This record gives sequence, structure tokens and C-alpha cells, in this order.
Amino acid sequence: MSFTTPLRRSTVTATATTARLQPSTTFICSQCRHATLLRRPKRPYQFTQLITMSDGSTFTHRTSSPLPIYRSTRDTRNSLMWNPSSSRLASLEKDEAGRLAAFRAKFGRGFDTNTAAAGSEADKKAEAEAAQAAQAEAEEEDDNLLDLISSFGQQEAGPSDKKKKW
Amino acid sequence: MAASESSRYLARSLPRALAPSARPQTLCWRRNVSDQASSSRSPSAELSELESTDLASTNAPSELVESYDPIARARGRKTKLPRSRYQFRSPKYYRGPLHPHQPPPPSDPSSRLYVPGPFSLPRVEQTWQSTVASDILTLLYVHNPPGFKPPVKAPRLRGWDDSSPYHKNRNLRGPRGGDVLRLLRKPIDFNNIPRLERITIHSYVNMATENSSWLHAAGIAVQAISNVRVQTYKSRTSVVKWGIAPGRDTVACKAELYGENMMHFFGRLVDIVLPRIKDWQGVKGSSGDSSGNITFGLEPEDVALFPEIEVNYDMYPPKMIPGCHITIHTSARTDKDARLLLSALGVPFYGKINH
Repeated sequence: MSFTTPLRRSTVTATATTARLQPSTTFICSQCRHATLLRRPKRPYQFTQLITMSDGSTFTHRTSSPLPIYRSTRDTRNSLMWNPSSSRLASLEKDEAGRLAAFRAKFGRGFDTNTAAAGSEADKKAEAEAAQAAQAEAEEEDDNLLDLISSFGQQEAGPSDKKKKW
Repeated sequence: MAASESSRYLARSLPRALAPSARPQTLCWRRNVSDQASSSRSPSAELSELESTDLASTNAPSELVESYDPIARARGRKTKLPRSRYQFRSPKYYRGPLHPHQPPPPSDPSSRLYVPGPFSLPRVEQTWQSTVASDILTLLYVHNPPGFKPPVKAPRLRGWDDSSPYHKNRNLRGPRGGDVLRLLRKPIDFNNIPRLERITIHSYVNMATENSSWLHAAGIAVQAISNVRVQTYKSRTSVVKWGIAPGRDTVACKAELYGENMMHFFGRLVDIVLPRIKDWQGVKGSSGDSSGNITFGLEPEDVALFPEIEVNYDMYPPKMIPGCHITIHTSARTDKDARLLLSALGVPFYGKINH
């Protein structure tokens, strides 16, 4: 007991000086004389919850939510980011009976806002055919123009000669 | 006398820089039986006493010996002993390393700091053990043919060429092009497969300077989603716009998740919360502190998607649900390995990937 008192005093003064030298740091008591309370760790209560995913698979986990069963509507099983190859989750409309196509054939789709975003296959086909037809027409036009150019100044020779040339 | 002598030698032998007491030896008031005995008796009497010391010669009364039957006494007892008689209780206070009554280590069930568990085998842990670990081990396998010797690398800390006499005993220099010494990446082997170590949920609430209820609500929300008591922190930086001064304003709360808590939280986050976030692209590919820890943030409306908050959403003031930063600390040494682990566990990444 006799030697402890000067020891404590010297350490206390030393820590005080270091604390003064570094004012911004946290004060760490290297040799504490006081008793430290041993606090019991706080552990919030947890329930066991059954999670039902959107495809029906289930698993249990521990959570602070008191609900016994959690049904999720949107999770990794039906989200496009986790299933990039799934055609069902890509925002393509289902038209198995062809009713939507029939409607569009009858009334057109001028009022359809997301025409470009989601077009059915039939529409795509129709568009492709229209594009082909337009190209064919343009080619014919071209031919006619070429005919016109080539036939310029040969009016005197007569149309029969031109036919033979080409 | 002898006791005080030994204490003086003890004081000298202790490694600390002590100031031994200047108290003279003559002022020792303690009186010991041994001192008395040595001073009064002759040495021959002492020796005879030593000789006669024998276990058999204890002169206890025989009726006392025969009546001593602890088993019968315990059986004959009507009521149970009080708990304090048979159960060890840890001291409530830690009184320093030299105190005779030391608390048991925290792993001891009688310790006050003991945390029981784990009580379940979380789904993420099972996934890691069954598929992810072997996948990562396969993906990161590097084949070295027999007899292969890796090229010798330069030392990480550069020495000084002894061109000047002042280079003697000088500390080694850091690496070229920056003094940050990165973690060494060891080849991934069966015993150092990257895994989750801990998750930190941190929430900085700038409105807490006006009203502490913001911080209370944030702490309770973070505790609800993580099942860990939060710690509050003061700001270390000054933000003039919000009137935050360093060391004055308590503005943040943090929860550290380990083990079972962490695994359950991670599974919940990946399976339920992240898919429900509107227009979420994923975790940014350049995220990470280049030593295997990945951070991303959640907006307040994303935090409200956690099932724990959703179940009693009305209990939280709607404006006070906090956003948070979630740091996932992995045992990987590089961000590349950490990203591989997290994407195997179901966290999507987007954008430019930094290695």
C-alpha cells in the first residue's frame, strides 16, 4: 500500500500532461482507480418468423417483428434484377388468345402510349412487312428514275431500242 | 518485516516506472506472529516445533469428528440453500488487474458480460457453407505447376541507400507513389475463403441538433432492423449549414452486427428489402475501401421497407425514419474478392467495377 500512492499520483500527472498536449483526442484512462461497472449486454427480444417468398418457398429467421408469418409480394424470386433471363418478368404483355392483337387490328393503336416500349410479335411482323414494302417501292422508284436518266436524249431512237438495251 | 521487504523488491521488479516509497523501514507498525515467535523462542524450540508438525497429531475432539457428516446434513435440509451459497456470482465492478476478486472472462456463463448463443443456423450461413465457399474456392483457384517458384517481389517498405551517413538507423520508407500500405492479398485457400465478418449500420441524422427525438427515433429504427442496441456518436466534423460543431452535437447512431444477428440481417436485406426498392440499380461497383469492405446507402423510404418497421409503421413518426449507410465487412483482403462474395450471396453491382 505504501508504494501505490506515489505511483498513482505520478501516472495521473503524466496522463494529465499528455491530455493537455493532445486536446482533440478522446481521453483514455490507462490506469483507472475507480471500479468499472460491468454492464450486462442488452439483447432485444427476437421472434422466429417464417418468411414465405413469392414463389411459395419458405424459410425461418429471427427478427424483432412479432408477426409469425411474413408473406412477401416482391423478393428475389420475382424481381427482374435477380432473374435477368426470365422472359416472364420482363415487361412483355401476355397475349395468348390474341385478343389484344384483334383489338389493335380493329381500332389501331394510336392511343396506346407505350407502343414503342412493348409491342407484340404480330405488330413487329406487320411493321417489318411494311418496311419491306416501303423498301421495294423505293427500289422501283429508283429504277424508274434510272430509266428516265438513261432514256434522256434517246427519245429520237425510239422506245424499242431502250428495251433491248436493258 | 519480511513482508515489507518483499514488497519493496516486488516494487523494484515490476516493469513500470515506479517511485518507491520513501517510508523508512522502522515505521512498520504491522506486527506478525512469526516475528514474535522468532524473537522470543530459541532456535532449538523452533526446530522441535517443525519436527512435531504432523497431520495425525491434530487434537480435535472425537465427538466433533464423528458428528461431521456433510452428506446427511445436506439430505436432512428441508429447504434449498439460498442461491448465493452455491452459485458463483461475478463481481458487479471490475476493480483493476490487481484486485483479488476478479470477474470471470466474458465467455464464462457466470460472467455479467456473457452473451449466450448462437441459437439458430441462419440461412445465409448455410448457403455460404454449402455452395458459396466451394464456388469461390473454384473461381479463385490459381494453378501452380510443381516446381513453380513465384517471382521475388521487392520489399513493401523500401530501405535507404547508404549514400549518406545519416541514413544509418533511419526508418524504412513507404511504398512509391503514396504512403498507404495496402493489405497483402494471400492466395485464397481452403482456410481463408472470404466470408462475412460484421455489418455496421450507421445513420447520421442532421436534424438531431434541433431536437433529440430525431436521434431517438433513428436509434430505435436501427435497433428494430438490426436487433442490436445502438451507440450514439458525436460529430467529428463541423457542418456550418446544419449548425453542427465537432464534439458538441450528438448526431449519429451506429449498430455493429456480428454472428447470428448479422447473418439474419443480411438475409432479410438481400431477400426481401433490396428487391422492393423502387428503381434500385444495385450497389455501385466502385464502392469499397480497397481492403474488402463494401458500403452502400439506403434512403429513408428504403429503410421503411424492412418487415420490422413495416409491421408497426405507425409507431414511427413518418419523417423521422432515418436513412442509413450499411458497411459489410468481409474477411477478403481486396474489394474484388469481397464483391465476388457479395454477388454470390445475392447483392447486385452496377457500373464501373473497381478492382
